[in-house]
Amino acid sequence: MTGEALRSDRLRKVYTTKGSPPVEALAGVSMEVHRGERVALLGRNGAGKTTFLRIASTLLRPTSGSIEVFGFDVAKTPERARPFIAVVPQEGKPFFHLTPREQVYTYLRARGLPRETAKARTEESLERMGLLDFADRLAITLSGGQRQRTMVATVIATEAPLLFLDEPSIGMDPFARRDVWESLRNLTRRGSTILLTTHYLDEAEALSDRLYIIERGEVLVSGTSDDLKRSVGGTLKVSLPGGAAAVERFRSFGSCVADGEHLTVIVAPERLSEIMDLAVRSRLTATVGPVTLEEAFLRVVGRSIDED
Amino acid sequence: MRTEASGATVTPFRGLTAFLWTEVLVQAHENLAMATSMVVQGVLLVFVWILDPALIGVALLGAILFSMFAMGQRVLNESAYIRIDHKANDLYLAGPLSPEAYFFGISAGILLVYLTPVAILGVLAAVVIHPSLAVTALLVVLAATVWLFAASIGYVFSTFFRDNRAIWAYASLFFNIFGVLPPVFYPFDKFPEALRPVALLMPPSAAAALVQHAIGATALSGGQVALAVGGLAVEAVTVFLFAIYWARRTVQGV
Repeated sequence: MTGEALRSDRLRKVYTTKGSPPVEALAGVSMEVHRGERVALLGRNGAGKTTFLRIASTLLRPTSGSIEVFGFDVAKTPERARPFIAVVPQEGKPFFHLTPREQVYTYLRARGLPRETAKARTEESLERMGLLDFADRLAITLSGGQRQRTMVATVIATEAPLLFLDEPSIGMDPFARRDVWESLRNLTRRGSTILLTTHYLDEAEALSDRLYIIERGEVLVSGTSDDLKRSVGGTLKVSLPGGAAAVERFRSFGSCVADGEHLTVIVAPERLSEIMDLAVRSRLTATVGPVTLEEAFLRVVGRSIDED
Repeated sequence: MRTEASGATVTPFRGLTAFLWTEVLVQAHENLAMATSMVVQGVLLVFVWILDPALIGVALLGAILFSMFAMGQRVLNESAYIRIDHKANDLYLAGPLSPEAYFFGISAGILLVYLTPVAILGVLAAVVIHPSLAVTALLVVLAATVWLFAASIGYVFSTFFRDNRAIWAYASLFFNIFGVLPPVFYPFDKFPEALRPVALLMPPSAAAALVQHAIGATALSGGQVALAVGGLAVEAVTVFLFAIYWARRTVQGV
């Protein structure tokens, strides 16, 4: 096992279907995921996140470009990469006629873990994911969130060197989501690397060391969540109810979004006092808060859509 | 790093025993399905019993072979279902489990669970026709060959579908046409003479003809025996090898 956990270079994927025009899902994605990192892949529906994850996890051939997992070429020698990876597929479900305990244990055994190790990790993983109370019920009787927890428990129990999680906490309640986050942090502390996709931007912010935003098959932005926030002009947002009519006066401070009569301005901390003065002079009430990743995401992706 | 003690590569059939056991557990939770797997055979046996009780021995042997053939339909349904509805192929194949073990594990898991009702048919057949050891051995080999063919073709077919609803019609059509229509439940020499070579090239009826020949219920010429044995062997081995190739090929999409 050598090299970066994952490295892709100008990765392209074009889907061709008879009778339909070809669809370019990835248009040359280059990225690196270092060992021990938690990296989030963000993007709108259909941006190419799942396609990237499927190629990286040896489940889809790229059209061109290269991608390596621990130095192994995923397209040419997938059988070399597979022992080092584990995947929570998007919308995957556990076997309905297995209990969570059976699901996790048999999966670990199928991956080649010895009985005792598999047993110990099964119990540990079920406990971490809060599944012990349901561990011996058939999955068909569990709720959607409990089934999803079973899927995550199954995969994190592998402690594989590289884990791909495609929307791992979908359908989970806030407590269960935090259990997932803690389990994933714990895994990277032990040396695993994680690449996940999510539409929950609070999850991406809480969990990832770095993130990539993909839009129309290309990497739009990469960096930390703070980098992303800074890229939209500041890390603070000033909300000005009734300020939409005065938008031109505030435009020089940064990105402005008018929603009805409400105006939101993204500003750098060093210009905060200046904008507050202007708000007072304009007889507007102003409230200040931190820019969320979701707001930064909306602006970055929205700007890209507007440019197109 | 606490990771599994996995080898450097995924070797052929790696993980087979454990995945086979997974499938046995999954199937074993469906007791009713095990019982209903005998409905078609049971109905046909009743028909034969009413029409000509003297043929019940032939029909019982046919029911055994048909049951093995029908397992292909279960392999088709199961592998399509767990791929389309559960994404189990993504979960299992993006890891150290080999594609061959995935295909063969599903097939053999279904075989192990559904062998119980087949064994009951075997006991009934033994009571009715008192087969010799040689005939019993021949029946076992033929049944295994028919199963290998059916399971392999079932798995390959399963990869062509994106929707479970589309499978129901095709699977039932395929397995009933090849398993019920030709001389499986009735003597080979009652089948139209012109179509007999075709029947000898269909695995279930070829196996049925051979076992009927062995118990003296029908008389095959040397050429017919050769055609049945050769056809069965070539078809089973070819389809099995193709299924192995296809299992590997389709991990990264068709």
